[in-house]
This record gives sequence, C-alpha cells and structure tokens, in this order.
Amino acid sequence: MASTPSESTGLTPVKIVVAGGFGVGKTTFVGAISEIEPLRSEAIITDASYGIDEVTADATKTETTVAMDFGRISLKHQLVLYLFGTPGQDRFHFMWDELARGAIGAVVLVDTRRIEACFAAIDFFEKRRTPFVVAVNTFHGQRLHGEDEVRNALQIGPEAPIVFCDARVRVDVQRVLGNVVEHTLDRVMSEAAAS
Amino acid sequence: MTSMPETHAGGRIVRPYTMTGGRTGVGHPMIALEALVAVTPAGMRMRHQFRWEAAEIIARSRSETAIIELAALLEVPIGVVRVLTADLREKGAVTITEPASESGSEADTPGYTELLQKVLDGINAL
Repeated sequence: MASTPSESTGLTPVKIVVAGGFGVGKTTFVGAISEIEPLRSEAIITDASYGIDEVTADATKTETTVAMDFGRISLKHQLVLYLFGTPGQDRFHFMWDELARGAIGAVVLVDTRRIEACFAAIDFFEKRRTPFVVAVNTFHGQRLHGEDEVRNALQIGPEAPIVFCDARVRVDVQRVLGNVVEHTLDRVMSEAAAS
Repeated sequence: MTSMPETHAGGRIVRPYTMTGGRTGVGHPMIALEALVAVTPAGMRMRHQFRWEAAEIIARSRSETAIIELAALLEVPIGVVRVLTADLREKGAVTITEPASESGSEADTPGYTELLQKVLDGINAL
C-alpha cells in the first residue's frame, strides 16, 4: 500500500507512537513539540471482558472508554507528523495494534526509577517488528544509569538505540524523533540489501 | 438523578452510536486514525444538507484534519467519526487521505525510503 496519492491539497500523514508505562511522561513528551495542545480522543470498547472498572464505568453499562493523547507537527515537504501516546494501562494493549499499524516507528519512554513499567511496550514492538528507540527520560537532567545498565536491565540487543532525553525539552524530543526515523531507515535499507 | 447521560456531545445528549444508526464501523475497511479528511468543493456546496456531527466534520475539514482530531474536537468516539466520514466520502463530500506507507509491509522500498528521508529532513528543520 505504498504512496497513495492525495486527492486533496497533497498533505501526507505519518505517525510515530510514544509508548511506556503509566506516568512516565508520554503526554509531556508529545506536548513539548506538538503545535497543538495534546488532545485526547476516545474509543469506546463495548466488550465487557476488557474490564468495567475504568473511569467511565457505571453499573448499567459494559462499555469501557480508552483515551489516547495525540499531538500534531506540520513538517516541510507537505507532511504532517502525528504523535500518539499509548494508553498506559496494561489491559488496553489490544489498542496498541491499531496505533502501531502504519507507524514509522515508536519511542519507548523509560523512567529508570521504574524500569519494569516499559517491559510490555518493548515486548509488543519486538513481537510486531515495529522499529523502536528507547528514550530514557532524565528528569531534571539527572542521568541515573548508563546506557549499558539500561540495555542490560531491558534485555534488548545492540540494534535498538538507547538515547537520553528530557521529555519537557523540545530539542530533546526533536532529536529522539529524528533517532526513530533514522533507525527505521537503517532497518529498511539493511533489509532491502539482504533480500 | 436517576441516570447519567452516556455521552455529552456538542450540547446534545445522545448515545454515541445513535448518530450512526447503530453502525460501529465494523466491516468497513479501517480508516487510519491519522488519515486526513478534507472537504471537497461539492461538499461545500451541499454542506447545508448535513446536520450535527456530519455538518461539524464538513466545517472542521476545510483544512485537512485527521480522523483522531475530529473525534477529539467533536467529543465523539473515533468509531463514530469513521462511520460518518465514510458516509460523507460516499456522497463525494470529503476525501480521505490514508497514510502513505506502512513499515514492515510489502511497501516498495525506494518510495518508503524517500518518504522517511523527507520526514527526517522535516524533523531536523523544525
């Protein structure tokens, strides 16, 4: 499904997913660079098996609302980049597939004080073969662990880049997004060379 | 208070899928969350035929707006926007631009590589 030409003014949408555990700074990360205030959008899940203890649940219905935060960045070359924050709670991982579909790649935000919070995201992107970059959110500029320690703790191979950023700082976020695209480019080109 | 409104959209209290006649979008090819909706000249001419959310979608799509943005701005679930937008496309009132390519698919590599390079260039130029 490559390069569907636009019928309208010629803008092309692209997206990058921002994942990580609950409270790791995904919305902050998106908000640091988005040209709009991060917006929240909802999908209603009518299958009761996903749990009824979510925010909107009441005794009379079996619907669950999954909220997703997103931001938008207009780029040159008639491109619009959307950033999607994944729903934080584990039981909403079924929504991630839709978010990851068609994504250039993903950022897995990590808080080294709660490193295990990102395991689910890493498992998901590895299984789905979505290119991802691990971005350690260094709150207040503190680098609590080195790259090797983080790589060891996450049990990821040398091919996944690990970078450090402050999710509140625009240039940091910009750099991480560039890292994601570069990583995907590397993967696409090496796969093309191998085939 | 005996019951809570199930959703509150644009000053009107209505169950979300009554706007779509109960259709949830199942069976439609899934429109991507980031797909861009743009009103057509024909859509502008017929805009007075549409009510409520459909009229809002027309109004908001004068500049290209993603499905997920429409859902957030109209405060309705994404599935509702998908169904209504697909209806509007069928009537020729809007166009929907799907994302150009998918990583990991059978996408043609030179085209995808070129797109990625443009995205990278765009990010670096921010």
